[in-house]
Amino acid sequence: MNSNKPTAYNNRLGIKGWVYAGKYTFERYLYLGHRLTGMGLIAYMLLHIIETANRMRGVEAWEGLMGLFASWPFKIIEYLLFAAAVFHALNGVRLLMTELGFFLGKPKEPVYPYSSSIKRHRPLTYIIMALAGLIIILGGSSLFFP
Amino acid sequence: MRETRLWSWHLLVIPIIIVLLGAHFAVMHYAPVFYGVSVEEARNFETMIERGKSVAQLVLYVLLLAAALYHGLYGLRGIIRELPMSPALGKIVDTSIIGLGLFIFAFGTYVTWWTFSFKIGG
Ligand code: HEM
Ligand code: HEM
Repeated sequence: MNSNKPTAYNNRLGIKGWVYAGKYTFERYLYLGHRLTGMGLIAYMLLHIIETANRMRGVEAWEGLMGLFASWPFKIIEYLLFAAAVFHALNGVRLLMTELGFFLGKPKEPVYPYSSSIKRHRPLTYIIMALAGLIIILGGSSLFFP
Repeated sequence: MRETRLWSWHLLVIPIIIVLLGAHFAVMHYAPVFYGVSVEEARNFETMIERGKSVAQLVLYVLLLAAALYHGLYGLRGIIRELPMSPALGKIVDTSIIGLGLFIFAFGTYVTWWTFSFKIGG
């Protein structure tokens, strides 16, 4: 562990290790998505607090800004933000269930072939991700077909 | 112990975010579906002020502000602190994130208060 050779374990791969450090499973890519959407959401939120403070500059400033947000490029950005929030929230619920130990079944003897908690959760993972996909598709309807 | 407590809060505020951000999206993004008004209408100056003048909105916005900022910034701190860095640099990262969080929280609260105490027509 103390060698200077970059591995996923001592985190010397740094940011590169987020994407690839050998064969990654489905959940590992969800982790990447969770991380990227989390960073996107917090970046958006910080800008959002500053941007909505524009209301203090009066009606014109506010309406100008909202007019800008009603334009197509911003509608698409808003939709991406919505999609990121839905993915992050639902995947976050999955993480909570895993971390708090829900639906993992009773502990049993580790007999080959081993079943990891991740594997036992996988059907649930697929259901949650399908639900996220559905909400994201439905969420576009009110934006693109008013 | 301290780190465990900070992490627990990261998870404990999640229910607040789910409910309030869900409601926020319903008002802002799904206005045509839930309120029968256009997105533009939901976001115009008068509607925004009218919304902000209720005590419930004041409390809920400040709550969302606090919960989402804490959750998001704690997450960001984790991401940055995971990268190889010296303890001194780690301290600088922590202090900067706390400073940023407190500043944005104070500013957001002030803006929400400004809306709450806005005098229509005056
Ligand atoms: C809507 C409900 C949300 C849920 C259910 C949720 C859930 C979670 C969970 C469970 C984690 C921790 C993962 C772990 O410790 O393994 C997490 C991390 C994170 N969340 Fe959220 N979250 C939500 C909203 C938000 C919002 C609004 C923001 C931004 C303001 C945000 C930003 C982050 C960041 C930056 C991380 C760190 C990601 C990482 O370490 O890779 N989350 N979220
Ligand atoms: C579809 C995307 C979004 C839109 C269109 C939107 C729109 C708005 C608008 C117009 C306001 C001004 C207050 C009002 O009109 O009642 C506001 C305030 C606020 N929004 Fe959002 N929002 C969005 C997403 C988010 C997200 C993702 C978060 C949190 C991570 C968030 C957190 C807040 C907070 C905390 C305030 C209060 C600001 C303050 O106290 O200064 N919003 N939003």
